[in-house]
Amino acid sequence: MMRVPPILVLLILSVPLAQASTDESTWTHEFDAGYITTKPLVIDDTVYVRTSGFWTGSDDRPIVAAFDVHTGEERWRYSSQTSLQHDMSPLLFVESGTGSCGEWGALLLVGWNDGKITAHSPEDGSIIWQNQTEVNLLGITGQMAIENDRIIVPTRTGVASFCLANGVQLLEVDTGNNGWRNGVLITEEGYVIGDESGHLHTIHRNGTLSTTYLGEGKIRHAPIDTRHGLFVHMQTDSGSSLYLNGSLIGSVGGSPAIPLMHEDRIYASTSNEWISMLCGAETCSIESIESFRSSGELNLRTYNSTVEIWAPSNTPEGGWGVFNQTSLIRMEQTPFDTYGTAAPGFSQGVLALGNDAGILQVTHYDSSQKKVDSVDGSIVQTIHYIAILGLFLLLCRSFSVHDWSQMMKIGSAFFLVLAIAVVPELSVNLAEKTATQSEVEWNSSWPEEWKQTQVIVFEIDGEERAIGGLEPQDNVYDLTLLACQELGIQSQVEQQYLGAYLVAFNESAGDGWEFTIDGKRSPVGMSEAQLGESSIVEWRPV
Amino acid sequence: MLSAIGTHGPTVSPTALLFLHATLFFIAVWLLIKPQRDGNAWLWPLFLLVAIASISRIAMSFIPNVMPVTILAVMVGSKFGVRRGFAFAVLVTLASNAVLGHGWWSLFQIAGWASVALVASWISVHDENGNLSMTQLAFSALWSVPIFSFIVSLSIIDSGMSAFEFGLYLANGLLFDALHFFGNLFFAMWFGQWFERLLQMNQPTHQLVQQESEHVSAL
Repeated sequence: MMRVPPILVLLILSVPLAQASTDESTWTHEFDAGYITTKPLVIDDTVYVRTSGFWTGSDDRPIVAAFDVHTGEERWRYSSQTSLQHDMSPLLFVESGTGSCGEWGALLLVGWNDGKITAHSPEDGSIIWQNQTEVNLLGITGQMAIENDRIIVPTRTGVASFCLANGVQLLEVDTGNNGWRNGVLITEEGYVIGDESGHLHTIHRNGTLSTTYLGEGKIRHAPIDTRHGLFVHMQTDSGSSLYLNGSLIGSVGGSPAIPLMHEDRIYASTSNEWISMLCGAETCSIESIESFRSSGELNLRTYNSTVEIWAPSNTPEGGWGVFNQTSLIRMEQTPFDTYGTAAPGFSQGVLALGNDAGILQVTHYDSSQKKVDSVDGSIVQTIHYIAILGLFLLLCRSFSVHDWSQMMKIGSAFFLVLAIAVVPELSVNLAEKTATQSEVEWNSSWPEEWKQTQVIVFEIDGEERAIGGLEPQDNVYDLTLLACQELGIQSQVEQQYLGAYLVAFNESAGDGWEFTIDGKRSPVGMSEAQLGESSIVEWRPV
Repeated sequence: MLSAIGTHGPTVSPTALLFLHATLFFIAVWLLIKPQRDGNAWLWPLFLLVAIASISRIAMSFIPNVMPVTILAVMVGSKFGVRRGFAFAVLVTLASNAVLGHGWWSLFQIAGWASVALVASWISVHDENGNLSMTQLAFSALWSVPIFSFIVSLSIIDSGMSAFEFGLYLANGLLFDALHFFGNLFFAMWFGQWFERLLQMNQPTHQLVQQESEHVSAL
């Protein structure tokens, strides 16, 4: 019996433990002038960022620049000589494609406050095409959107659309009112924008216009399309008002941020609070409020199957508040914190931050996080192995002294611990071996750029939509959420007893949804279903 | 309970869901308050065991199929009869699934554990004097598994599923049934006597005296 502890100790020491390493790398770039007021874009190996400011005759001008995401080396920059006011329209990246008005390569699209829209080559920043929109002191300040082969631009006085291939204007509608930071929402009916007079305009694709008056205030974001109608967070003289389907549903603090929606929640913020709203069966209502000050952009990422909402803190202390679905979980700080309105830019393992100091900071964090997770898992495994070994030794001892009742007790514990270790993996292996397999054919209509990347296909209401070339994700859940964001598909996910469960796409629940990876049904749920670099995931109704 | 949209099974409105939960709860209460002949003091031990079963099921939810609920259903069914056993099954399922998540499967979990309690009332793990037999309890760790597993698996059946496919589904779950068995055996061996002491908590003193005198006379 006295030999047992030393044997166990020896075994502990002989089990290799993963060592955590601080493999985090960060670089920063400080612009000579201007603020970073909109989120940096991280696309593949490049970070794109724009500066903004109020330029009064000096040599400084607003810049759009591209940096190597790993080294911070500046690849190119483009400076506008004519835009003089704050440029806050978010950058827009579009993959190459073809459409009725032509064919285009990858483009970085920029809307300027002088009304220009420029399409740049992501490689060297050269202008592929450009065009001019209506200006009334200010020009393009809101978020643009892509619809098939065209870009939809919220202009100062309305909406315009341009062909992605050559920049030819396809549509221009004047609403008669001015807008500012009023992004455009694309719906089935048409393009929806707000304005500085509390109106919501729907511009139909045939160019006709219909307008709804919400109330006294300024609509400074793209409306959000919920199943209960359009959501608008309107700035008013006394604070801000929340509207759903034209009805007032709440009043909160002033200077509202640009809200965002994810699954069944809407996240918003003001100069007084951060707000989480839950959209249930009947309506959307405020579920949680945290005291916070954020008036710019919000961004969201799914990290280890956990949703994080990031909001820039528009205070002298700066930083970014990181929230889960209902509350603040931490503040993310940097050495250069100050006022800020730009949301972070995310990509796989990359975090890009910018603020009013005009400093861009890019951090690679994934490798260290993965190693920490690996250490945690390794410790649990080690404890498990020790338990199995220890119980086995005690079982042997009970057997040797013919203590049957003790043997039953220890034996039950031993077999249970052993089964916990063995059964889940054995079950997965067995299921994979017996799973019906089918070949996944490469669809010839998919772009060549998607080869060797993860591709995901959705069959919704008989229509197939696919996307590839996204940042590689570890599991089906993360890839699905990312793809839905890119394709504008509304997904409804429930966290159930057995894990995350996909309830509906675009409110189409049917008899349920199932996914395959490379033609094979997965024996585990979407959070655990691991993906390779070129996996093809297909979501189809049951 | 049936609001798990998309899971196999019907969906109901929140009002119907509330009605269903309330109905099940009142059935459990009715079963508990209905008088029984044997006069066993059951109320507080039963509630205590419901709490232990629910909390441990929630706490151990990360290990599939390992929980003391099945063994407790056996012991409650054997000690207090099928009615109390059914009430135990309802209360534990309602309480633990409030955290873990209700669904169409909840009804089948209730039926599964209630069936285990029913069988345990026939194949008792207590002898004529009401004492726990560890051998019988260990054996119950085995026979309770296929009963519960089969009934819970019925929740997956829909109009498109053949008997063969259902059989395949059951076969795929055999490994987890084995885990369930080992878990039951573990709880039986390590906690069986302690659960039994809780079941006998409010036992009338004349029965305790009777047992004590028998013990003395045995010496």
